[in-house]
Amino acid sequence: MFILDRLLMKPFLTIADTLHTMAVNEVYDVGAIQDELKETRLLYELGELDRETYEVRSEQLRDDLELAEEMQQKLLSGNVQVAQT
Amino acid sequence: MTQYLYAYGVTNDGSFEVDLTGVDNATPVYTVDYRRYSAIVSDIETMEPEQTDENARLHDDVLQTLIEDRTVVPMRFGMTFKNGRALKGVLRGGQRAFRRALMNVDGKVELGVKLVTEEGVDVDREAVRKDVTERLGEVSDERAENDLFSDRLVVNDSYLVAHEDREAFNEVMGDLTEAYEGELKVQYTGPWAPYNFVDIEIEAQ
Repeated sequence: MFILDRLLMKPFLTIADTLHTMAVNEVYDVGAIQDELKETRLLYELGELDRETYEVRSEQLRDDLELAEEMQQKLLSGNVQVAQT
Repeated sequence: MTQYLYAYGVTNDGSFEVDLTGVDNATPVYTVDYRRYSAIVSDIETMEPEQTDENARLHDDVLQTLIEDRTVVPMRFGMTFKNGRALKGVLRGGQRAFRRALMNVDGKVELGVKLVTEEGVDVDREAVRKDVTERLGEVSDERAENDLFSDRLVVNDSYLVAHEDREAFNEVMGDLTEAYEGELKVQYTGPWAPYNFVDIEIEAQ
């Protein structure tokens, strides 16, 4: 459904392009990473994660977030090229 | 170095200056006044303060301290203004909105309620939400639903509670914690500045 919508909106986009865009969106899902960061914080506050685990995990997520934001930015500006296999 | 103003919120309780540490470790916290409205500010050297945990905490600490004896319409993190004149312009333009917002939160605080499933436990989410909303609805003025950012979150709400209802609200929270013991963990936080109960959009200049 989603692919069709995209194709109808942008009739000159190929299916490969659309799939590629969706894949990048999924891998670099800023919202999902932000949610995970918030969940990690919550579990730490509830005492399920010790401080060290919390710090290591949230630092990793923050790095992921930075990368994802950068990739989304590039995606928006049309500068991302992914080789098709 | 150019000094800009970092704003925390607006009050109508008059002009003041306090020795608090604000965002980017600025001190003091003081007001920029326009008629009966005062914007609470500290000096800052950038128009784009860094969104660090430390800065977010400082922003919140300032508001936490001030709401102990003042009514404040809080601003979200990162509101900076070029100078006092720009800020006064916002106060002038927003007078009606500020009056309404201040009236709405006068004498009230925001309290946060999160219910999280214990690991591996399944609950009837709808039933829990209904029960919690009903019980807390009786001891609060307003409720705001927040994002369920984790699969384990069943409830993530904010409540606007009048000072005189605080004790009753605490009691209901105690009852809820007991009722769901073993199934749900309860995180009860606050008092917060009423972030979720003012809807003023400010365009920073």
